This record gives sequence, C-alpha cells and structure tokens, in this order.
Amino acid sequence: MAKAKPLKILIVEDEPLLVMDVEMMVEDSGHQVIGDAASLGEVEALTLASEPDLVFVDMQLAKGSNGLDVSALVQRRWPEAFIVYVTANPRMIPEDFAGGHGVIAKPFSRTGFLAAMRYLEEGIIAPPPSIARPVDFVGARALDAWQVAT
Amino acid sequence: MVLQKDDWHLTELLHHEHGRGDPFAAAVRATRMAMCITNPALPDNPIVFCNEAFQRLTGYDREEIIGQNCRFLQGPDTDKAGIDKVRKCIAEGSDVAIDLLNYRKDGTTFWNALYLSTVRGENGEIKFYFASQLDVTSRIEAKAAVEEQRDVVEREVARRTAQLEEALAAKTLLLHEVDHRVKNNLTMIGALLRLQSRQLDNPEMARKLEIMMERIDALATVHRRLYQSNDVTRFDIAGFAETLASDVIASSGRSDITLESAIEPIDISSEFASSLGLILNEILTNAIKHGLDGRRGSIRLSAVKSNGTSVITVEDDGHGIVLGKSDGGLGKTLITRLSKQADAKVAWVRLDQGTRVTLTMASSA
Repeated sequence: MAKAKPLKILIVEDEPLLVMDVEMMVEDSGHQVIGDAASLGEVEALTLASEPDLVFVDMQLAKGSNGLDVSALVQRRWPEAFIVYVTANPRMIPEDFAGGHGVIAKPFSRTGFLAAMRYLEEGIIAPPPSIARPVDFVGARALDAWQVAT
Repeated sequence: MVLQKDDWHLTELLHHEHGRGDPFAAAVRATRMAMCITNPALPDNPIVFCNEAFQRLTGYDREEIIGQNCRFLQGPDTDKAGIDKVRKCIAEGSDVAIDLLNYRKDGTTFWNALYLSTVRGENGEIKFYFASQLDVTSRIEAKAAVEEQRDVVEREVARRTAQLEEALAAKTLLLHEVDHRVKNNLTMIGALLRLQSRQLDNPEMARKLEIMMERIDALATVHRRLYQSNDVTRFDIAGFAETLASDVIASSGRSDITLESAIEPIDISSEFASSLGLILNEILTNAIKHGLDGRRGSIRLSAVKSNGTSVITVEDDGHGIVLGKSDGGLGKTLITRLSKQADAKVAWVRLDQGTRVTLTMASSA
C-alpha cells in the first residue's frame, strides 16, 4: 500500500517526557503522531482513526509489559506498520528483531533521531532511501533491500 | 610371643620339598618379610607354615595360626571385592598381588600388601600356595590422607568458585542496571533540553542552548558506544568521530555538505572517551556550522595510527575560520582544558580554502 507524507506515527513509551520529545521531533520532520501508549494494555485499548505507518516501541514499558509483546500485537493489528524499537537496552532485542524493522538506541541525539526519521521516511514512502543508513539506526534483515541501492 | 628356633621341623610338610637343615628354609624363617604356606590338599586349604615375621605382623602365636585358613585375618572392613579376587585367583591357580585390610589378634588393623603364588609339583599340580605379607599401612594411609586433602581442597575450590560466579553475576546485573539508568537519564536530560529550547523566544539563548544540547548529545553518544562494545575499558574514538560527523551533517539539514571519511579504528582508554568526544564535537560542529556556513562543501575526516601517536584530522573547504567565537569562547576553553587532561594536542591550520584541524593523541592515552 502506498504511503505518503505525513506518515502516521504511534509512540509506545512509558516516559511522558520522551513521548513529548519524540512527538516534537516527529512533527519537526513533518509527520504526525496519531497516538501514544505507555503499556501493552494501553495499546490494546487504543482506538485509532487510521492505521499507523510507523510505530516507535520502547522495550521496558509500564505495568511490567515489554516491547516485544507490543511488537507482536502491532503486527497482528496493523500488519502494514513499520516497527522501530527505541531502547536503552538493545541487547534485549532478539536477532530477528521479533518482526520489527530496526532499532534507535537510547540515549539518542536530536541529530541522530532526525537522521533516522528521514531515512525511515524515504524508505517507507519511496524505497529504497536515497541517503545512506544513519549510524545510529540499526536495521533488521527485513530492511536489507533498502541497503542495496544506497 | 614365643620364638621357636626349631620352628622349621614342626612343619613336616616343608620336608616334602626342602628337607631338614635346608638353608633356604632357614632364610624363610628368619626374613623380615611375613610369609606363610597353605596346603590345598587339606580341608579348607589351611596354613601349614608361617615364619616369625608373620607372627609378629599378625600378633598370633604359631599354634593359633597353623591349621587356619588365611581368611582368619579378615574383618568387618576388609574389602569384599578384594577377597573375591583372591578367591578367584586361588581357584584358577594364578598369582595375585593385592592390598587388603587385615586384622591382628588384638583387633587392630593393618594394610597387607599380599602376594600369593602357587608352588607346583613335577606334574604341574598345585602342591602349596605361598603367600608373603608386607605391612603397607603407612603408605595407604598417606595416600588416603592425600586424597582426603585433595577432596577438601576441591570442595573448597568449588565452593569459592560458586561464590565468585554468583558475585560476578550480581555485579554484571548491577552494571547493566546502572548502564540502563545512565542511558535513560541522558535521554531524559536531552529531552528536557530539547523541549525547553522550543519555548525560548530569544534567538541568542536558543542558539546557546542548542550548542549545549549538542555537547550533551556528544556525551550520550560516547556512553552509548562505550557500552555497545564488548570492552568498556577501550573506546574507538575514530569510529565515534565518523558517527558524530554524519550525525551533525544530517541534523543540520545540509544536503550540500558531503562527508569523506578514511579512518582506521583508534582505541583509546575509556577514561578519556568523554573528553576527547567533547573535543571532537567542538571541532566538527565548528567546521560544519561556521566553516561551511552558507556555502556548499565537504568535510574530510581521517584517522591514522603511527609511531605511538594517533591523529584524527578534520578538514573543511569552507571559510577558513579557526574557531568560532559564537558561543562566547567556551568551545575554545573546553578544547584547551580537555586536551590537556587527555594528553592530546589540537592544532588549527588555515588552508588556501578552508581549515584543517588535527587532534594528536598519544597511543597510550
């Protein structure tokens, strides 16, 4: 399915400051945050006006839930969505990314996050991206096709 | 104990082969090695001869010995498998050498290195069994003591190893926990600054806050790269410089700036990772923001190790600005103070077009 700017983005993160921060950077990049959730339960309870194109998922979430379970839920509910983990604990992510597409490691810089956002935007809307993969973004195998043309 | 100098003639059976007055028989009687002879032709294969040493070793008198089967030396703690082996060899007519726990008349025990062999007649039939006994208690006990000591040491080593492994696991968990918290806090500090910077009306303040954010981002990147590697004591400063350069260019939104990078890994002590990381941040942001302000261009990054020193060079083909004063000179102060701490030198050279900055580090840094 063709995706267009602005991308619709869901943020799953239990730290409100970071939700605000990521939301601002997403909007600075010209995209739209359509929702946020702090736990697996909140993702289950979400009613979204439209399907997200991209979901940012923290690993350690509220109420003892974790990013891998959220990832599995997102894949069932919105199979078209790209999933990018945003975590201080990248070692918790299995080698196959559990169906996710990439990782942005915490602590991220504004520059690093914006660079990753631009790369994801190009890759999602019109793959492959014209820019090289930013060093702060680790792509899953699923994104290997994006690498070839760059 | 009664010593009987004429013992030998009491055992008529000896005469069968040796005869009275035989010097060999005399030697057997007098040797320090305990010896006995049994006759399988008699019921229950009894002892028909024993020498004085055998009497001394077992504590029995001759009268008590003669006519007994050798098993009279066995007791409750004598190894059953060892006894079976002796029986089997007797049945087969083969020789046997074995250590057995035996009992003296007074109930005390001794380790008996038993050697049993057959004495055959002209037709090959077994006439007698000849047995020699040697008290090897001290050897067996020494061996047992060594084994016991070894077991004690092994148990202690296993116990200490388990304790250390447990302690290491706890420390590793703690390190991961602390690392996770430091990362989360750095992320929060960054988020707070980014959120505050949006609320500032004063462009001069906003610009200074942005510079501050870049410094904190640089520190965050140092921490992240340090804990991503397998060795937290070393830090690849060249790889960091490349990451930072591409980050700063990407975030500037300047697609007219290209990065040409030719680096080899330069490992420094993690002690200086933050200092050198901040220095590189000042150099790179200066080149990109001021050196190439308002004009297209390129940043050339190189990292080379040679003869005990490592050199990172950042070159731009821009305005040829040595160091921006835009942040009130803090950048220059940071470079001066931090390079002194990290035993590094920073040199600025104005080129025909642009600026070259070299960061020279002692390899042991």
